[in-house]
Amino acid sequence: MGSGAASQLSEAMNRLWEKFLPQMHERVGTLQSAAARLASGSALSTDEQNKAGADAHKLAGVLGTFGLNEGTELAREAEGLYGGALDPEPETAARLTAIAEQLRAIIAGRR
Amino acid sequence: MHRILIIDDEDDIREVAALSLETVAGWEVMVASSGAQGLARAATYQPDAILLDVMMPGMDGPATFRELQKNPATAHIPVMLLTAKVQATDRSRFADLGVKAVLVKPFDPITLSQQVADILGWS
Repeated sequence: MGSGAASQLSEAMNRLWEKFLPQMHERVGTLQSAAARLASGSALSTDEQNKAGADAHKLAGVLGTFGLNEGTELAREAEGLYGGALDPEPETAARLTAIAEQLRAIIAGRR
Repeated sequence: MHRILIIDDEDDIREVAALSLETVAGWEVMVASSGAQGLARAATYQPDAILLDVMMPGMDGPATFRELQKNPATAHIPVMLLTAKVQATDRSRFADLGVKAVLVKPFDPITLSQQVADILGWS
């Protein structure tokens, strides 16, 4: 690919990032809310758990496409945790909270 | 010019993939946001290949692929599944459906078209 096409692609990718940024924040918001509920000792409903897992899955699929590979790895970890029987241990809630916070920071830090 | 149909319910992935294939390879790209819409567009536009997301609400990727195969108007079109599932067992299960290839999300927008071209022998 020539430098002109590379530059054009990069600029267009940045425009798409800005376009979809609210969607990324919304998905991370879902993960933060779910983790906060778990941390407070509440159980998630099946729908809430499925939604958190689905949003983690979507983040895993897209973040690396925008160069945020660490975000993809973290989102995959969250998807795995929400994808099965949720461990009620406080450590699980703490890990999911930390993942959501890290994802928020990674997304905010993309230039 | 090659014509590609992207079927994915996630608008961000759909737009990035379309941008990549159009900008890097200069291909003509059509998009569909559901399996049902994809079936109709595949039959109408007769693309040279289809990129098909696995996890979609309603008719998912494997079900859409089976419908494409049943229709004589679309059965000949090579299909590549696109999935964020990284487990080897998942990928093997998808490959066993008879698709041309299974591509993993996230993909690199710079190299996606080359990856597709290599799979389809367009290089």
